[in-house]
Amino acid sequence: MSEDLTRRTVLAALAGGAVFLVKKANGQIVWQVNAARCINSRLGDTGVEACNLCTTECVVALSAVRAVNEYSKCGRCNICPAYFNISSAVNELGQPGEKLCPRDAIARKPIGKVDPEDPANNFYEYIIDEEKCDGCGKCVLKCKEPLGLGSITLRVRYDRCVNCNRCSISRACPQNALMQLPIGQAL
Amino acid sequence: MSGLPQVVVRACVVLVLLVQSAPAQAIPYQRPVDTAPQADSIGGGYKVPAVQKPLPRDYWLQVVDVVALAAAMGVSVWLVLRRRSRRWLTALTIGCLAYFGFYRQGCICPIGSLQNVVVALADPRYSIPMVVTATFVLPLVVALYFGRAFCGGVCALGAIQELVVLKPVQVPRRLDRALGLLKYVYLGLAVLFAVKPALARDFLICRFDPFVGFFRRTGAPHMLILGAAFLVAGMFVGRPYCRYLCPYGGLLAWCARLARRGVTITPNKELDCGLCAEACPYGAIERMRAVRRNCLYCARCYASCPRERGVAS
Repeated sequence: MSEDLTRRTVLAALAGGAVFLVKKANGQIVWQVNAARCINSRLGDTGVEACNLCTTECVVALSAVRAVNEYSKCGRCNICPAYFNISSAVNELGQPGEKLCPRDAIARKPIGKVDPEDPANNFYEYIIDEEKCDGCGKCVLKCKEPLGLGSITLRVRYDRCVNCNRCSISRACPQNALMQLPIGQAL
Repeated sequence: MSGLPQVVVRACVVLVLLVQSAPAQAIPYQRPVDTAPQADSIGGGYKVPAVQKPLPRDYWLQVVDVVALAAAMGVSVWLVLRRRSRRWLTALTIGCLAYFGFYRQGCICPIGSLQNVVVALADPRYSIPMVVTATFVLPLVVALYFGRAFCGGVCALGAIQELVVLKPVQVPRRLDRALGLLKYVYLGLAVLFAVKPALARDFLICRFDPFVGFFRRTGAPHMLILGAAFLVAGMFVGRPYCRYLCPYGGLLAWCARLARRGVTITPNKELDCGLCAEACPYGAIERMRAVRRNCLYCARCYASCPRERGVAS
């Protein structure tokens, strides 16, 4: 009989705690990179190596962080400093010979009206392949004043992120750039 | 050296630098635009593509996970208390390991949710989703009525150890008891680190989860080695993580003491041979009776009992 009583007490305590927590529940919380803090977004091309902690620290095989090109902010440059390694030797096409991305994750294609007099003078679209990008941040660092317009940022992709209680990138990030936000604000 | 004029030295240095930089002729970079061109200025019928924003797992799928957890515990209770079938329970174990472990990659699990609950209770600004609360509460409620049904075959961490039990030795009872206290120490530490202020907060249980690396097929080398060590030890000492370290197991054991029902070996019949006690890899059978707080719902005792035939209802 006394066991029944204790069981009931424990059940009541569990139910009370659950009700308290559910009342507090505030929808889903996710991790996201705060571009205002991310050192790659802030520094720009000052000759330093890009911080690649988002690549190395993430617990999933291909990092849940990847670079995103915000197309409405992209300059669509002919020679994109994030696509080409602009300090490499120029090839016969008049473009830098090397690409910047170590995983060749950025695709370049001409868009819009083609000028028949000068076909190279065109707008170009740069699409980052989600499946290849591992968030190393090299392109983010280059697409910055004074070279680029800052359209590329590092973002968490939620189909890959396992939403760890304490994101291991956040533990390593020297700028505390990863923060937990309600899902509505994070996208 | 002092005889050589400083100017000559400097000139030489400049020359050398010039010669070195000559072959790598890079174009001086100039940004062609100062503002981003939009669809109308680009022309040619161009439309700005949408930025990819992959969404997290749908909410209803998270609810499905909780329902699957509840259903799996229900099946576990039914298989052990009614069907009394070790074979079917093994099938459930494999199924749960595949789903909660390798498919869901070990997240979310009741063991880790313990920390979220503690943080949410302690920190007024921290809130946890309802599915996490449910994940934490459900196995405890089941334990209050039927014992540790969650541990038997449902928990992915338990399941992976359950399947490697090869030739278990009986741990001396006093040593078993002493080691069993470790899980309460771990529980205390996990709570202590979880209630720290937000930036200093740490989730020990998740961080030192020995098997999550296998579920994700990637992880820090030292954690993978630790996990492998647990599995190798688990071949000879049944489910060492569950019995000696699992903090949630501590809570479940405490609830299971109050359980209304539990594993009973050949009810209504004389017990004297002790084959079940030898068969139990977890030292959960004392004086021919399964001790509910230690019983991990594996049904090995039934499988080894010569009198078990005909008991299943």
